[in-house]
Amino acid sequence: MRAKTLNNTAEKRPESLWEKLALDGMVMRLRTLEIYSGALTWNRFFGSLLLALLVLLFLSGAFMAFYYSPAPGYAYDSVDYALFSLPFGDAIKGIHHYGWNLFLIVMGLHLARGFIVGAYKPPRQFVWVSGVLILLIVPAFIITGDLLPWDQKGYWSTQVRISIMKSVPWVGDIMVQLVQGGPMTGIVALTRFYVLHIIFLPCLLVLLLGIHFHFIWQRGLCGLISEDNSSKITVRFFPFIFNRWLVLFLCVTLVLGFISWYWPAPLGDPADPTDSTFVPKPEWWVLFLNQLVSIFRGPWSVFGSVIIPGGLTALLIAVPFIDSSSERHPARRKITLIIATIIAMVLLTLSIIGYLEHHV
Amino acid sequence: MSKCNPKEAIRSDRRAFIKTTVLGSGAAVLIGYPLISYFITPALKKATGKWVDFGAVEELSPGRIEMLTYEFMVKDGWLVLPQRGFVWAKTTQDHQIKVFSSTCTHLACNVIWQEETNQFICPCHSGRFDSDGKPVAGPPTKPLLVLDHKIEEDNLLAYLSF
Repeated sequence: MRAKTLNNTAEKRPESLWEKLALDGMVMRLRTLEIYSGALTWNRFFGSLLLALLVLLFLSGAFMAFYYSPAPGYAYDSVDYALFSLPFGDAIKGIHHYGWNLFLIVMGLHLARGFIVGAYKPPRQFVWVSGVLILLIVPAFIITGDLLPWDQKGYWSTQVRISIMKSVPWVGDIMVQLVQGGPMTGIVALTRFYVLHIIFLPCLLVLLLGIHFHFIWQRGLCGLISEDNSSKITVRFFPFIFNRWLVLFLCVTLVLGFISWYWPAPLGDPADPTDSTFVPKPEWWVLFLNQLVSIFRGPWSVFGSVIIPGGLTALLIAVPFIDSSSERHPARRKITLIIATIIAMVLLTLSIIGYLEHHV
Repeated sequence: MSKCNPKEAIRSDRRAFIKTTVLGSGAAVLIGYPLISYFITPALKKATGKWVDFGAVEELSPGRIEMLTYEFMVKDGWLVLPQRGFVWAKTTQDHQIKVFSSTCTHLACNVIWQEETNQFICPCHSGRFDSDGKPVAGPPTKPLLVLDHKIEEDNLLAYLSF
């Protein structure tokens, strides 16, 4: 039958389902798609793991929205209900909670690995740039998401973040007004944070992810340092690479599920804007920024809150254009690696000092 | 069209490009203006304030700094909710009153008066202010906000903005 169909293409009579749906060309391309076999292996899986975590974050987030009321008071009760009264409530909230923490860690590793092996070298500069842009919108997700349960920690951390935002010269006040929809952190602000968290930011993330994949697709995956592009071994994406990804996805789902089951995601007391005794502790990922903010005082505070973080961000984006030679081997990029290590060490030290100051 | 001479083709392209520009910016304005106004309007509302009654002046003891709490209804978008908080009232021996906002000028945590050290302490980043609200230690650089106050019918009123 198949042979007959192929022979009678002149008739142009759709036969298979894919042909009827006019998807045959795309399906054929996917089936025959060959990609670099090192794309996902035992020692290289950060990118694939990030994708798996993102799928989990989108799914758990979308389903948590079924039980969420974005209004002060109700918000807390709705989250509490979803967490403790629904089957798998702890798992779904936990996967979201531990998922984003793990996402941040793996993102750091993904970035570090890309840096060390020189994955940003020509022609892959914009793979790096688009990846850094994704990294930069992640804090927006955390900041907007943190307020949603309307518990003490979320509320008071938001107060601190808002005053940091306010301290940005010239645009700080208007930024805060726009984000909160007014001068206070109430129902308007909560609704805004919610809509940003579940609609606008995810759309932006998907767009940036599309750009990231576009550049990976067009400029190729980064091979081993010893390989040149012609010596790459390829393997069919379906089913081989896809199956590896499914294994990874199942593993991370099970691990996060069990963690969430043993240690339910935290939900503090309901937010009380009058309770001044609650001191929000900066979270682990923001400790270094927090230290920077507290090191520079008085007229210098703009260094800690804007200039140094802004400078580091610009530096991170500009890495492929500063270290622009095509040399990928770490041993022949000593200066780049030493500078990066020093910066990383400083940030790590600041984080440790911050940890000792706030959490011990 | 395809038989037109090259000049005519360029002109036609240019006309089409201008049309795209005009139509595109028209669509952008038509969609963008209402959406953006819709989004930003509540944000442009200026903060307002009101006089809040803190009770009888006689209750304040001279030479001390006391916490005065407030609760009043405030409109937040489509909700009317109680706004709660506190201020610090300083009464001198000669009954002069000064009302300090409890908001730390560093990152807006609430400062607490500490009798033993004679200082306001901010628990968040260890900022300290003296009994006149001047910053003496830690990250804050601006003094605590002194609120306008008045005495009406023997009650202390302070002007709170929100």
